[in-house]
Amino acid sequence: MTETPAPVAVRLRGITKTFGSNTVVQPLDLDIRDGEFFSILGPSGCGKTTLMRMITGFETPTDGSIELDGRNVDKVATRDRDLNMLFQSYALFPHLSVYENVAFELRVRRTPKAELDGRVREALQLVRLADFAERKPSELSGGQRQRVALARAVVGRPAVVLLDEPLGALDQKLRKEMQFELKRMQREVGITFIYVTHDQEEALTMSDRIAVMSAGRVLQVASPIDIYDAPASRFVAGFIGSCNLIPARMEAGKAICSGFGAVPADTVDAQARGVRDGDEVVVAVRPERITLHADPALAPAGAARGVLAERVFLGDEWTVHVSTQGAVLTVQVPSGENGAALAALADGAEVAVSWTPAAGRILPAEEAAA
Amino acid sequence: MDRVVAWFSRLIFVFLYLPIVALVVYSLNASEVSYRWEGVSLRWYVELFADRLLLETLRTSLIVGLVSALLATALGFLSSTALVRFRVKGRGVFLGAILIPLIVPEIVLGVSLLTVFSTAGIPTGFVTLILGHTVITLPLATLVQMGAMSSLDPSLPEAAADLGAGAWTTFRRVTFPLLRPAVLAAFLLSFATSFGNIVISTFTSGVGTTTLPLRIYSQLKSGLTPELNALGTLLVLLTLAIILVVGVGQLRRILAGGPASQ
Repeated sequence: MTETPAPVAVRLRGITKTFGSNTVVQPLDLDIRDGEFFSILGPSGCGKTTLMRMITGFETPTDGSIELDGRNVDKVATRDRDLNMLFQSYALFPHLSVYENVAFELRVRRTPKAELDGRVREALQLVRLADFAERKPSELSGGQRQRVALARAVVGRPAVVLLDEPLGALDQKLRKEMQFELKRMQREVGITFIYVTHDQEEALTMSDRIAVMSAGRVLQVASPIDIYDAPASRFVAGFIGSCNLIPARMEAGKAICSGFGAVPADTVDAQARGVRDGDEVVVAVRPERITLHADPALAPAGAARGVLAERVFLGDEWTVHVSTQGAVLTVQVPSGENGAALAALADGAEVAVSWTPAAGRILPAEEAAA
Repeated sequence: MDRVVAWFSRLIFVFLYLPIVALVVYSLNASEVSYRWEGVSLRWYVELFADRLLLETLRTSLIVGLVSALLATALGFLSSTALVRFRVKGRGVFLGAILIPLIVPEIVLGVSLLTVFSTAGIPTGFVTLILGHTVITLPLATLVQMGAMSSLDPSLPEAAADLGAGAWTTFRRVTFPLLRPAVLAAFLLSFATSFGNIVISTFTSGVGTTTLPLRIYSQLKSGLTPELNALGTLLVLLTLAIILVVGVGQLRRILAGGPASQ
């Protein structure tokens, strides 16, 4: 993580928004780099849409400043900010054709006629809708409207495009397709994308970096891999993917859980992050990093014993709930040899679970921010 | 049962349109009295265009109708913009204040208007007629336009601003084109209301500004002449022409209050 960072496209400093006595966005700093696919991820009501609307200029921050490409834009109106937005409702102009929708910005900015046509065609080509130029938005499917909106957002070659839950209205299959499409188009045009979503899978698949937000605060900014493997807080661990959270207490440098003993965990890393003896903590373990031992006698030392509580067959894997002394753990067992052994067990059978210390991440029990 | 319903709906159509058909037929009757048929003639059309007094009142009604409809539509557009777009305090009170003339009996409005005008020393005439008619057409124009505005996606003007359009460009290229059918509907409705009004006109018209409905009403005493049938026929034709020009589908959409060309 020591590569030279790209120049900053959007810089937020101390940005705050309050509506009446309700603080929607707590003071926050954020740097979004040039050309990156940056996601703002959080549950609904976490302030992510308000944050985005402040970047576009639709909302005025209560406090703090915003820089676009190194230029302060606190006093700059939306129309003069070098960014475009992709609305959740698409916001296509219903009385204009696809062509005129895409051409809107160029016409408003008085682009010469000769150049205008070429650029509109190019943008329609990019979203693969060149044959639909003369249609009205009402004659298009949801996915096509979405792509027109994207073409309209990039045709003026802004520095930044903000996308507000753009895939929310599409069906499951189309969403998957559009995730790849969006990523491809972003690479092709090389524009910074700020993608606002509550869908963790979307954020993980597409982003270069993700900011996880909750209750108006940014809890962590990191790459998808780091967000998943090294969550900075209990909320992030629980919100992204599924995660076992085992309550414990730090004693003599170890995470001790009553009825569990010392929970295997990365204590060195925890100490580096300032976790001290006497702290109440949780140990976060991903279900796929837990090994299930059908025969407890063959389990390695330090494995926890438990009872098979529930199991669901998902085709490529099993999801199993194992009830141990300290907690009910969710375990993912891939189909195959292990899965076959599991299938042979009866409900309520004695089993054991284990994981490597590196798989257990120690986090403060109390959410510092949220 | 179905047959009964079918016949009943036919009966309603007859009830609705018989008077209009009768009007057209009798406008072509050569006889001076309506109960006798003396053959087809355009005599009453000729007499109509020779009746300077009647044409004068028609002119008055057209001017008052056009100006007050224009005023009501413009004011209604502005007030509905304010009411829909901005969630200001006292919004409900303001909306109520605009809509009250719909509920207050016209006769009460007429009396109070006359009181206000005479107290303020404004002589009755075109000005008072137009103001009076604007009072009763403004609620209609506001309601029709408010309906269309609130069904407009609020992110459309935002999208326009985001794409570099200023307030005026947004209005000219996005908001207004989408609201045009509602604006037209508000204008037509206001005009029709003003054109047919008698009560408010009774109180607010002055010497030389008698409106057409007032003139026709006053003729009741001396007996209606068939030239009124001719005038009525011409007005019906004018209305049909407007409907054809605007388009039946468009008109239905306008009156349902939806936005344009979805």
